[in-house]
Amino acid sequence: MASTTILETVEDSSRSLPFREEIDEHRGHPGIRATTFSYGQINDDMLEMLEKPHPSYFLLVLGFLSALLLGAVSLAIQVDVGIGNSGISHPIAWGFYITDFVFWVGIGHAGTLISAVFYLTRAPWRTAIYRSAEAMTVFAVMTAGLFPLLHTGRPWLAYWLIPYPNERYLWVNFKSPLAWDVFAVTTYMSVSIMFFLLGLVPDMAILRDEARIRGKILQAKIYAIFAMSWRGTNHQWIHFMRGYLIFAGLATPLVFSVHSIVSWDFAMASIPGWHTTIFAPYFVAGAIFSGMAMVMSVLIPVRIVFRLEDYISNHVVDKVCQVILFTSVIVSYAYATEFFIAWYSGSPYERAVFYFRPFGHMATWSLTGDQPVSFPLLAFYLMVFCNVIAPIPLWRKKIRYNLVSVWIICGLINVGMWFERFNIVGSSLQRDFHPYNWGEYWPTLVEVGITIGSFGFFFTLFALFMKALPPMAIMELKEAAEPPMRKGNHEH
Amino acid sequence: MSTKFSGVWGTFEYLDDTTEAVEELRRKGVVPTVLSPCPRHEIDHALGEPQSPLPFISLFFGAIGCTIGYSLTAWTASDWVLPVGGKPIVAITPFTIVGFEMTILHAAIFTLLGLTILIIIDSLKNPIPKAAREYLRFQRDRFGIVVRCEASQCEIYEELLKRYQAEEVYVEKG
Repeated sequence: MASTTILETVEDSSRSLPFREEIDEHRGHPGIRATTFSYGQINDDMLEMLEKPHPSYFLLVLGFLSALLLGAVSLAIQVDVGIGNSGISHPIAWGFYITDFVFWVGIGHAGTLISAVFYLTRAPWRTAIYRSAEAMTVFAVMTAGLFPLLHTGRPWLAYWLIPYPNERYLWVNFKSPLAWDVFAVTTYMSVSIMFFLLGLVPDMAILRDEARIRGKILQAKIYAIFAMSWRGTNHQWIHFMRGYLIFAGLATPLVFSVHSIVSWDFAMASIPGWHTTIFAPYFVAGAIFSGMAMVMSVLIPVRIVFRLEDYISNHVVDKVCQVILFTSVIVSYAYATEFFIAWYSGSPYERAVFYFRPFGHMATWSLTGDQPVSFPLLAFYLMVFCNVIAPIPLWRKKIRYNLVSVWIICGLINVGMWFERFNIVGSSLQRDFHPYNWGEYWPTLVEVGITIGSFGFFFTLFALFMKALPPMAIMELKEAAEPPMRKGNHEH
Repeated sequence: MSTKFSGVWGTFEYLDDTTEAVEELRRKGVVPTVLSPCPRHEIDHALGEPQSPLPFISLFFGAIGCTIGYSLTAWTASDWVLPVGGKPIVAITPFTIVGFEMTILHAAIFTLLGLTILIIIDSLKNPIPKAAREYLRFQRDRFGIVVRCEASQCEIYEELLKRYQAEEVYVEKG
């Protein structure tokens, strides 16, 4: 079957797409039309995305900046007044801030998974989306990193977390998971930023030369700084590709280790509902689940606005949805396992916490009952609905090929995953071992403001990235495309 | 450096023309520099699969990072002892996390540094003329071959590049 015929088949109808296509790297990928484009066309398409934006872009950025401003004002109040201004108090010492931290670290995982793990497994559908996903990783981890600092109450003393020789001969306790977190998150952020910047170098050289071709001298000079004298010689490529492979190899264990270490912040404590061995894989699956959903939430509008259906094709969306579906099943299984183990352990404390999560207080629960719906209760049902029930339609291929449906489902997953994090952080602390140590938690406006601000921070950075840097890896798109051959494409 | 360059360089539209010219040059005992808009394994094959020593740099500094991670934790735990329920002061299991993170961090930082240094060394060892460096279509859709040779041999390689359908061929005699 000629490749063009297959392409038309994929774009027009998902019904006749064969279960597994034969992929000839010299003839492009049957599900991604851009792999049949010429190198020049790929350059032109990517540069078009960096042209002067439509006024609606500025409106969008203004919206994100407003959210960021709200967050900044809330942050200023929080730092000025102190941590007592939040809803965090004994016995609930971890509230919105740690929820936000865990949520944002999780969002970052999809980028590393796509850029590193799927690079090593040679998944061709990752090419068009990995740069944006990687940028999301960097921005998400930057956002996440703010919360533990804020949560300490005195962020100006954050350097105490770093082991350094001091006049009191004190060192950080390396047996504490909080110290592990410092190392895990800073390593993850550093490696993600380096990996991201490394991949950008050849693309900056493309932008430098294209700006020169178009007579934009100032732009060319700016891009030249970041291109670092890149010329595309075989010596440069050989070291670059080897370095890229090593970075992918180094980033791959980070995908699994970072959220495992974050999960041990909880699992190492003896609090009922936290002290379980399932937490590491449960957190990692949840992180990939939420990260992939965020990638789709952001890239589906990008595809529509920039008309990128040849790059972010239905085939690509389908593959991401399959990963979402897979991780959704793992997460659902983990939820069920938590309840089963609570019952099977015979521990009254574990049982009580897992009764508390769906049914509220220990008293008999009724729809119109004698107690208001508590925040953890809301969190639990939103978590189950958004993470277990909402992704079920993705089992149907027709739904996976419907962008609106995918976008709505992914939006719900993002909501559900935030509430899952809250469900873990908040509800366990409300019902400790001893009734004397029980309490309620409601966030204050400052906490809500900072949470909204974190979304503003993330989306502002992403919107600026979309217009300042190539949102797709031009070099890799070319590598995936058919090379120009005088004698036609054939195996070498 | 560019004023001292002596050799021939040409541009190619097609990848197969480029690789065939490279293979012919290698048969004549010349190791050219090839420019391309993206990495292509066909070019590596034609050049005889050159290797990068970068993995050794990553491995070495990863091992250094691992040592630092374990040593730092063990030393600080011994320097400021925090006894907890009779558990070991120097506890290998929790310190493995710091050891692992330091391994990754050091390997990554020095991979990036090593990569930069190796590229600088190679560009000094294999100079390309200023005109080739400033040829704008190598980052877009053209392939290039740079041959460093004596002025007396330029004509031979000029003819070779033209025979393999080079679009443009330039000769620079130092």
